[in-house]
Amino acid sequence: MNQAADPQRELALRDALLLSKSIESMPVTIKPRYGHFVGGRFLDGRDESLFGTFDPANGKELAKIAAADAGEVDKAVKSARAAYEKVWSKMPAAERGKYLYRIARRIQERSRELAIVETRDNGKPIRETRDVDVPLAAAHFFYYAGWADKLQYAVPGRQVRPLGVCGQIIPWNFPLLMAAWKLAPALATGNTCVLKPAETTPLTAMLLAEILQECELPPGVVNIVNGAGATGAALVNHDQLDKIAFTGSTGVGRIIMKSVAGSRKKTTMELGGKGANVVFADAALDQAVEGTINGIFFNQGHVCCAGSRLLVEESVAGDFLERLKRRVLTLRIGDPLDKNTDVGAINSAEQLATVTKYIRIGAEEGAEVWQGAACAAPTTGNFVLPTILTGVQQTDTVVREEIFGPVLSVLTFRTPAEAIAKANDTEYGLACGVWTEKTSKLFEVGHALNAGVIWANGYNLFDPASPFGGIRHSGFGREGGVAGLWPYLEVV
Amino acid sequence: MPRLRVDKTLKMLVGGKFVRSESGRTMPVDSTSPHGAKRKVNAPFASRKDVRDAVKSARSAQPGWAGATAYNRGQILYRLAEMLDDRVETLGVPAEDAVAAVDRAIHHAGWSDKVTAILSTINPVAATYVNYSKIRPLGLVVAAPDATDGLLGMVEALCASAVMGNATVLLVPVKLAEVAVALSEALATSDLPGGVVNVLIGDQDELLQHAAAHDDVDGIYLAGAAGAKVKATLDTESARVMRRLLQVGGATAPATPYELGKLAEVQTVWMSAYEPRGGAAAY
Repeated sequence: MNQAADPQRELALRDALLLSKSIESMPVTIKPRYGHFVGGRFLDGRDESLFGTFDPANGKELAKIAAADAGEVDKAVKSARAAYEKVWSKMPAAERGKYLYRIARRIQERSRELAIVETRDNGKPIRETRDVDVPLAAAHFFYYAGWADKLQYAVPGRQVRPLGVCGQIIPWNFPLLMAAWKLAPALATGNTCVLKPAETTPLTAMLLAEILQECELPPGVVNIVNGAGATGAALVNHDQLDKIAFTGSTGVGRIIMKSVAGSRKKTTMELGGKGANVVFADAALDQAVEGTINGIFFNQGHVCCAGSRLLVEESVAGDFLERLKRRVLTLRIGDPLDKNTDVGAINSAEQLATVTKYIRIGAEEGAEVWQGAACAAPTTGNFVLPTILTGVQQTDTVVREEIFGPVLSVLTFRTPAEAIAKANDTEYGLACGVWTEKTSKLFEVGHALNAGVIWANGYNLFDPASPFGGIRHSGFGREGGVAGLWPYLEVV
Repeated sequence: MPRLRVDKTLKMLVGGKFVRSESGRTMPVDSTSPHGAKRKVNAPFASRKDVRDAVKSARSAQPGWAGATAYNRGQILYRLAEMLDDRVETLGVPAEDAVAAVDRAIHHAGWSDKVTAILSTINPVAATYVNYSKIRPLGLVVAAPDATDGLLGMVEALCASAVMGNATVLLVPVKLAEVAVALSEALATSDLPGGVVNVLIGDQDELLQHAAAHDDVDGIYLAGAAGAKVKATLDTESARVMRRLLQVGGATAPATPYELGKLAEVQTVWMSAYEPRGGAAAY
């Protein structure tokens, strides 16, 4: 591995910008301990179940969290069932919608606080939590709020009803946003929920629970249980759930699918990916560079739909790679709370080990490893420099498996047909990008890519009105848009 | 002396050709044919390898079928209805069931160039993109219609699947062998490209398990009681490869657009509508 030193570097950003910690100058309160949120009340949880959640940028413990056992999960499910039967399913749909509007507004009002807590718990740059995670979470509630009293139009020619009680398990890469993606459509359609946040990022869910209390959401409509895999298993295996919605790895998705096999539980699976970002020679190359950066280094690459495979047309590959590296050398890596930071910390030591392992495997299989940034990575905390792997093949481990980190594999192609074949040569199918200024090529190639989401001259764009979700081993079911209502409705 | 009846060897439709089970297995069943009452016929009895062969044929036929124009696919399914109508008296089912199957094929033929319009959306996103969600075929569907639905169940399953642009492997219980063969003969003369619909005859539950464990099947269509007793196994097998069990409906009523949508995937496209501004969204 070599730390790049590009003599043509035009922007000498190293140490050029002073830290500007304005957003966190007013500290936010993180309590020393969090338990669960059941029946509208905060529960301490069991002392013996406590585990820590850490700031990945410095390794310091932020709070103690209690893990729910099967009994506590059962209480949460029963609370959700009671709320479903007595309150939420009986409430006029417009009123249900008004609660969701209220939640959206409160998230906006407390956005600074949510952004800071998210950044500290997750390690992602404050620029992202402030500009993406939190505003999008509010937008999701606002979008689905409006659906609550319009569900008769969601399925052409059919009447619909809610499923009942939904168990929802979310990952650590977008903790608050994933909670919003899960809760907003479920609540809008009249379901009640038991949500399990990821064990390494529980804090914004607890803040969201406070917000739900402030919104006077009827007790039990949303319940939150903390914990790791055992808590998740207790939730998945609870026999009174009507639905399991899961976002996470394909491996865990398979385990969940097997454990609900033969039951009446409906499922939605939003799983892993190995997105291809296809750049043609006739693309707007500088914009494509930005899109490529955004595709793989956004959120340190902890994005299921990350553009982790760059497919660039051979004739411009050298030029493009040079522009790409030059741009990477302007990315600031470091303190996630610094609003100038582009690349933050890897969420956990475990994930750091995974990313490091894959970079090593890449090198062992013959890849050339290039790493760079505008500054050196901090020596404490979980940091990985933006990494570009060249000289890789379709069959290499780093090209086939999801790394879930800031690691880009670069491949080349000569014809659109070759680009399509290579892009589709994966067992995943979550998202792909395609870059060209030629409209016919954009449509032809875009529509030929096997993925649930296609970005034409863009990457990593999300919107509550836009259905998101994968095909093949990336899962099934959509989140966002009208299609995002269907997984939470029963057609009668 | 009355003329000696000519008995037909029952074969399965795979890749546009009529084949026996590669295993050589057959199963004697009571004939349901109007010409062959009160006799036994040897129905082909498909094996795991037959499932694999049918999946292979279906997979290679699917892109061409999905790539045909919706108008063309509609006409081919309409021609299937014509071919069935020609055979109303020889399909081996009561005439009212036969004409119901004809009418069902016509109903679904009409969806080919309309269902996309109903299930697709233009999504107003807060960015400089035209965002649309369209449906695209699931790909390869293995369909197990309910045995009690007879011919209509088979026609409903294959038409619903085909009209959405999928290639289909139809699993028919052995007691419906003769009906399945008659249907296959209509399929073979309907201009449907070989492999778009394949018909296997055998033990539905056994074949379903082979299909669920196959790595190249995108969805399994179950209607009514079909597969109910093996559902847990099917779920478990499917989980290995992340495929879906699709409870689309049955023969009672034609699948509605929403149900047809289960035989398709929603694909969302963010199409740049202005000068590209890089990846960063206008949040």
